[in-house]
Amino acid sequence: MTLSARHWTINKKLAALVGSLGFLALIAANPYKGSRLELNGRELSEIVQKEVDHVSAEELAGWIIQGKSDYRLVDLRNEKDFAEYHIPTAENLAITSLQEGSLARNDKIVLYSDGGIHSAQAWFLLKSNQFKGVYILSGGLDEWKDKILFPRLNDNASPTEIAAFEKAKLVSKFFGGIPQVGGNVASGIPKLAMPKLESPGAGQPKAGPAKKKKEGC
Amino acid sequence: MSSAEKAILLDNVGARVAANVRREAQPYWNPYLAGLGLGLVLLAAFVIMGRGLGASGAFASVLSVGVNAVAPQHAVSNSFYSEYLGDGTQSPLKDWLVFEVLGAVVGGFISGILAGRVRKTIEKGPRITTAGRFAYAFAGGMIMAFGAKLARGCTSGQALTGGALLGLGSWSFMLAVFAGAYAVAYFVRRQWT
Amino acid sequence: MNAPLFKFGMFGDEVSLIVAFVIGIGFGFFLERAGFGSARKLCAQFYFTDLAVFKVMFTAIITAMVGLFWLSWIGFVDLSLVYVSPTFILPQTIGGLILGAGFVIGGYCPGTSCVAASTGKIDALVYIAGIFAGTFLFGELFPFLSGFYNSTPMGQVTIPQFFNLSYGLVVFLVVMMAIGGFAGTGWVEQKFSKLAKETMP
Repeated sequence: MTLSARHWTINKKLAALVGSLGFLALIAANPYKGSRLELNGRELSEIVQKEVDHVSAEELAGWIIQGKSDYRLVDLRNEKDFAEYHIPTAENLAITSLQEGSLARNDKIVLYSDGGIHSAQAWFLLKSNQFKGVYILSGGLDEWKDKILFPRLNDNASPTEIAAFEKAKLVSKFFGGIPQVGGNVASGIPKLAMPKLESPGAGQPKAGPAKKKKEGC
Repeated sequence: MSSAEKAILLDNVGARVAANVRREAQPYWNPYLAGLGLGLVLLAAFVIMGRGLGASGAFASVLSVGVNAVAPQHAVSNSFYSEYLGDGTQSPLKDWLVFEVLGAVVGGFISGILAGRVRKTIEKGPRITTAGRFAYAFAGGMIMAFGAKLARGCTSGQALTGGALLGLGSWSFMLAVFAGAYAVAYFVRRQWT
Repeated sequence: MNAPLFKFGMFGDEVSLIVAFVIGIGFGFFLERAGFGSARKLCAQFYFTDLAVFKVMFTAIITAMVGLFWLSWIGFVDLSLVYVSPTFILPQTIGGLILGAGFVIGGYCPGTSCVAASTGKIDALVYIAGIFAGTFLFGELFPFLSGFYNSTPMGQVTIPQFFNLSYGLVVFLVVMMAIGGFAGTGWVEQKFSKLAKETMP
């Protein structure tokens, strides 16, 4: 058998090519799985300063009431807390599994945790991994409870505040909260577990009875 | 150009086109080259879409639309059809697989035309009648489709795509397909040989 | 990491349908080039007279597999974003057996039946009618089948993961197995060449 490749048929050449690539793969063993992050420090710092990545509790409440389905609300807390209460339409994702694939880079993602630390850290991780539309719920769940579920009307409220409170009462009722009237709110108000709008951890919150089979074959 | 010259030109062009369609069926390509082409198409799907090919899902989508048109209550309450119908915000036919299969029809036609292989035929072996062939074709399609839905895919989706991705279930599926086909081939040899 | 392009937001759902159509054209084109618009050629595989199905299928698999390995190795493709369909080992295997049987009885698989239909095969049209009937049967029986359909889930598991081997090793083994198989096809086809002469066009 001649060693000169010029005499080989096309089949032999193809076999040799793919065989070598396969052999090299053996040596390469494992491709570098994507956990390398690229940071654009300047861009990120500008976004942080302008606070364009914040979503207020009122805004989010509005989206939910309107039935918008163009966003994905991510609850970063643990399963137990999530099961006890979560903002309707939220999905429970651990910060370690954020980049695993259920979130798409062109999704509008709103992150929340109890306060703001985990959501800020998760924001940073996702933005560095080329996720485009990542937002933080300002104030997190604490703010949600404070402003949406249990809005408070102080004793010496101004007329504008009273008017705003009327609206807040309706929103609160929608989410099963208790509007608070009167000076000081007792700190031990029990959380109200809302009737869940859809089962926790559902992939697409507004998918209705069945999620459209997207990537099957 | 005078009208006489135009007429001659059109005649020539027409003759060329007709000859192209009518011409002798060209031999098939080297299977390794065809496989290479197919593999590159699959790779393109991975790189561009992050998914592979498929076919059986498209038929299920179309069927679900049909069932929904005739008996919407039944379609929505059946978890198989409803999976293909989605939540109603957009037509189930605006589906990646449906468009891909339509493309495959076009692609096959283009290749056939270029090779002079488009003609009305009935593929069958020498020992069986047309009616017999049709009966087998229908039955085979039914059985195949049933197996495809049970396996969550067909040769394009599970075997090719899943095979390239080294999916465990896909490889098991692929081996089972060959096993099943070889096992039954003996019993239908009268159709093909 | 820039790929898969769609999952990095390069284009939206509408454009992805156009992408689907174009990819489909390539798919159908090469299937027909290989001769898979012909049920006789397809089924010849199962009588050992023409092993094109094996050759084309496995060449395609190793091409895409090796290509994906290297594109992810250089950091272009983010492998975790390429959809691997979840394994349900029992229904997939049983389904495969049934599909294989239907394949050799009917003469096509779904993709090739479309290519055959578009190049004029009437039996392919009948086959496609059968596909709808079979899918309908499955859909109607689904409430009874869903238990079995969802049994033995193993998640999105790949062969390297399951056997705890490196990805590159499995790629290498599959390539070697395929090339070995290809080398053997000449011998097999020759053994059955008498049958081939009688039955193939």
